[in-house]
Amino acid sequence: MTAPVLELVDVTRIHGSGATAVHALRGVSLTVAAGELVAVMGPSGSGKSTLLNVAGGLDTVTTGAVRVEGTDLASLSRAALAAVRRRSAGYVFQDLNLIPTLTAVENVALPLELDGRRRVRSNALAALEEVGVADLADRYPDEMSGGQQQRVAIARALVGERRLVLADEPTGALDSETGEAVLTLLRRRVDQGCAGVLVTHESRHAAWADRVVYLRDGCIVDSTAYDVSPGSLETAR
Amino acid sequence: MAIRHGLLALLDEGPAYGYQLKAAFEERTGGTWPLNIGQVYTTLSRAERDGLVAQLDVGADGRVVYEITDAGRHEVAQWFASPVRRDAPARDELTIKLAVAVTAPGVDVRAIVQTQRSETMRTLQALTRLKIDAAEKPDPTTDTAWHLVLERLIFDAEAEARWLDHVEARLLRAAASTTSDRTPAPDGTDRANQGSAR
Repeated sequence: MTAPVLELVDVTRIHGSGATAVHALRGVSLTVAAGELVAVMGPSGSGKSTLLNVAGGLDTVTTGAVRVEGTDLASLSRAALAAVRRRSAGYVFQDLNLIPTLTAVENVALPLELDGRRRVRSNALAALEEVGVADLADRYPDEMSGGQQQRVAIARALVGERRLVLADEPTGALDSETGEAVLTLLRRRVDQGCAGVLVTHESRHAAWADRVVYLRDGCIVDSTAYDVSPGSLETAR
Repeated sequence: MAIRHGLLALLDEGPAYGYQLKAAFEERTGGTWPLNIGQVYTTLSRAERDGLVAQLDVGADGRVVYEITDAGRHEVAQWFASPVRRDAPARDELTIKLAVAVTAPGVDVRAIVQTQRSETMRTLQALTRLKIDAAEKPDPTTDTAWHLVLERLIFDAEAEARWLDHVEARLLRAAASTTSDRTPAPDGTDRANQGSAR
């Protein structure tokens, strides 16, 4: 049994202090295994984005632990943490995903370049190929549609051997069909062995996950596993 | 009336006997509403009584082949041309339960909302899984029908989830306003505290 890709253990995150302290997360524990997509739902201010940020090492916890592939992020130096962000975790946001002055393939290659890897361009092209936009490799972001940009962003989030993808409303700015294509892609990568966390306010999109976690006021209040087989739907009909 | 009109529409495409109609109906609606054969024959004999279908032939095995009449064709055309009436809301257990719960003393409505939300999400997950499976193994003959039936069920579940969010937000607002009537909240109150302050 391998270690889960992502593990949050009793995580709290307090912004500020004293009377104005905001408890963004209050004792959240969450485990995401390889091949598992977990959706996080909750009203705005419930802590969804904070959860995603601490999971990817973009924000630090106040108490508790975050482990990515078994490594406690708090134990890492700044440089080592940056390396985890480049090598282990990938991010997809609602917008502002790509660097406008770089082409698609350069955007995807960026984390590899920063990491001093070799065969950067061919790896980046392969990642674009996988998300079906290899033909757009030399285009700049403003020469692509929103859906195409989001595909490139997913390619960048997953290029290399990264096994954790963190997506914050990745379908937010897209029409429903393009949004669905992005989810199909995310789902496929997870089925191939990544671990995924998807923050969304749309239950239709959360339903693509294996498990849906509900946040309220910084706490997980409920969680649904996908445990309904098509057979039991048949009898419910 | 959905079954009667659905079967008539199928007969409009050509004569058929009961089992063929049952199979065609289920295939065309993605198997979502299975018919029992008795129901099919009852529907056909009532339609025959009303002059919408007629017996064309009785096979050696005793199977009756039905064909549509001109009156039946007219009925089908009318059905496609008219909207499905929505003026009488269906009796819905969840709506009734929540309407009663909000006024009943000592009932934790937020817990009811969350329990239902999880249940609705499970349904949505199951439907989405069926949709993904269908996309992976395309079957051109039934694809469109199955897809649109599934999407309808997904939209229904999604609407229910959104309504539950609305109910919860409304309850929280109501709770917050009663609380702040008693103790005026200072400026910059942590939004996250409002829920637990209810």
